[in-house]
Amino acid sequence: MTESPDRTQPHESTSLIPAPENATGEPRLLFNPPIDIYETPDGLVLYADLPGVDSEGLDLQVQNNRLTLFGRVTTDVPASAQMLHQEYHIGDFLRSFILSDEVDHDRIQAKLTNGVLRVELPRAPRAKPRRIEVSGG
Amino acid sequence: MPIFRWGQPWDPFLDLEREVDRLLQGVNLTLHGVRFSRRFPQVNLLELDDSYVLTAEIPGIDISQLDVTIASNCLTIKGTRLPPGEAGEDAFRRQERFHGPWQRKIQLPDRINEDGMRADYSAGVLRVTLLKAPASAARQIKVNEGP
Repeated sequence: MTESPDRTQPHESTSLIPAPENATGEPRLLFNPPIDIYETPDGLVLYADLPGVDSEGLDLQVQNNRLTLFGRVTTDVPASAQMLHQEYHIGDFLRSFILSDEVDHDRIQAKLTNGVLRVELPRAPRAKPRRIEVSGG
Repeated sequence: MPIFRWGQPWDPFLDLEREVDRLLQGVNLTLHGVRFSRRFPQVNLLELDDSYVLTAEIPGIDISQLDVTIASNCLTIKGTRLPPGEAGEDAFRRQERFHGPWQRKIQLPDRINEDGMRADYSAGVLRVTLLKAPASAARQIKVNEGP
């Protein structure tokens, strides 16, 4: 595999992703989740940190060689709560990657455990040479 | 920007320097979205009527590796986040996620009832609920008259 699928377009919205809005109609924050990508004998494995995202809030799609992950964060903080100290903000996660042609799109598998997404991007089996019959005229 | 200056009236670099300084100062304030280069884990502390709630973003932790303790109103959370097991160091194309041991200590603003502590971990978010200690009733102190 020569091309790494690391061109990111974090804030591009596609029509398949719902317009991010909260209950009051204000736009929600969008974050670029940190990722790891490493190579295995079978292909590539991608990990993404998506704290606060459960499997229902996760949307993973491949379209035109672009893998897009969108995670909607759900929180159940009571409205009466007062923030005393804030290091992180609540928002959704969005990131997309360009897949190389060597990735077998049909065999991509994903699993979300404890807020970490693991995506397996297997390498497509090498195309076998195909003989073209030449008919004599 | 001063319009007229005594001394060196044609020193364009002074203004440029100031302008660049001003722009660089602004860069520190725009760290939004760059989440992986900061302290791990990130915590928020909320106050409710009868309790404090600490939330921490710690995705991908096995709860047996998670240690939550409280001593003299200081809450400590610590653990270790392991890198993906099967990956060799040179196999990484990109490594942005935090790996390794981590610890955070949070001083709580008020006395809390240490028995009413509760911690939940779901979807990579740790949530520690700490009940506030009931305010002790005011105690009258008798003043003795000196001899």
